[in-house]
Amino acid sequence: MPFNSFLYACGEALRNLYRNKWMTIASVGVVVVTLLMLGGFMMINFNLNHITEDIKKQVEIVLYIDEEAAAKKHDELNGKLMAHSSLAEVRFVPRSEAMERLKEQLGDIVDGYEGAEDNPLRDSYELRTHRPEAVGKVAKELKNYPAVAEVHYGESTVEKLFTATRAIQVVGLILMFGLAVTAIFLIAHTIRLTVFVRRREIMIMKYVGATNWFIRWPFVLEGMLIGALGAALPLAALYFIYQASLEWVASNNLMFLTLLPLPFVMTELVKYLVPLGTGLGILGSAFSMDRFLRV
Amino acid sequence: MVEAKGIYHRYDKKGCDVLHNINFVINRGEFVFIVGPSGAGKSTLFKMIIREIVPTKGILRVFGHDLAAMRRGRIPYLRRNIGMVFQDFRLLEEHTTFDNIAFALRVIGATGREIRRRVPYVLELVGLTDKATARVCDLSGGEQQRIGLARAIVNRPAMIIADEPTGNLDPDNSYEIMNILRTINMRGTTVLVATHNREIVDRLKKRVIHLDRGRLTVDEAKGVYSSAL
Repeated sequence: MPFNSFLYACGEALRNLYRNKWMTIASVGVVVVTLLMLGGFMMINFNLNHITEDIKKQVEIVLYIDEEAAAKKHDELNGKLMAHSSLAEVRFVPRSEAMERLKEQLGDIVDGYEGAEDNPLRDSYELRTHRPEAVGKVAKELKNYPAVAEVHYGESTVEKLFTATRAIQVVGLILMFGLAVTAIFLIAHTIRLTVFVRRREIMIMKYVGATNWFIRWPFVLEGMLIGALGAALPLAALYFIYQASLEWVASNNLMFLTLLPLPFVMTELVKYLVPLGTGLGILGSAFSMDRFLRV
Repeated sequence: MVEAKGIYHRYDKKGCDVLHNINFVINRGEFVFIVGPSGAGKSTLFKMIIREIVPTKGILRVFGHDLAAMRRGRIPYLRRNIGMVFQDFRLLEEHTTFDNIAFALRVIGATGREIRRRVPYVLELVGLTDKATARVCDLSGGEQQRIGLARAIVNRPAMIIADEPTGNLDPDNSYEIMNILRTINMRGTTVLVATHNREIVDRLKKRVIHLDRGRLTVDEAKGVYSSAL
């Protein structure tokens, strides 16, 4: 594209945005509303995923040792656990430590059971897997290991948690996809209206010998600017909303709600919303005007 | 410059021929009136010359190019050699006279200097120098058509095609427009004018091609409208 034509396209894009200011406001408004909804939902979804991932990380397997098994078998068990590829963390918990913990939780009730002779608890291993979803499979496998008395991993609770997080993810993806499709439809439709208003200008350009790309460029740049502006406003709004949410969580001592830090969330949103906004603007313009170029 | 060899056109496969076996040759520098009643096929012929549509059958050559075989990407370059004037002017009404004319230069990538040099020149040619900064919507029909003419010639095209250029104008303005077209023609540009204006055709005594229900009935050098009927 010659430099003159590029300057002309930029100038025309800005002039047209100003000349059709009501249409520009309407187009930007549509992008703002849809991207605000999409961005808001993405923000919630990022945090839901983060919280569930956090909960998942706390899922562990407790393996109780059969005290009657030979010491050689205990060593063999320890060696096999250490070498297991699915296990991220293997921690031996002697019965004395287990009693200490119980005492911390229950207090005086366990008085008199502290001695090695009276301690009814067993030595155990606390294990974490690399993938929390693998606990069921790993626990089943561990049952057949030597010197193993019992294996627990909170079967029903863990299964429910995984089902719930899967559901949240699926619903989140469906909703985000739905919102993205709605945004594409609305933006393309609004830009088609702006192109329609200027169909006469396009027709004249065709008659005086303008190439299709020369005609498209100002519209494409215009769509890009509408999209970028339409993405910047929801990003600013989401920044303040998220900052307020973080402060609210902190001031209400809701420490179990481990929300993601603001810079991380904003970086993710910018990564998705800016290309989405400008991309939708460009595509919306380019495709909306093809019908008017057939002169 | 324009050569039609047995061209036919129909808009709908099941419809009638809008143009039926049309043959003619228009040479460089000619002034030709295309006359005939509404629906005779005059506008269809012009649409073919600017390659908006292609003949259903036959060959139409413009500047030596077979238009049916022309790639879509070449069409803008063909149109830069053809200035078009319309009955309804087709101007950007909210823009100034200067901008409307400069528009035709900008779309072909002309520099600012070229635009500042060419536009005043054509404004003088059509007698609108003092209206350069006026908005089109504030001008009369005659003045608007002169802007249309200025826009058509500003790129120095080899041919001008004017579709009913005086259709919306009073007799005085019509003569003025025709005089400008004649001046342009005298400077070597080929001019094709589709018109209903019997008086003008008879007075100018130029070549007349008469179309009637899609058929070429008369092609006469120095013809008159009446003889075409």
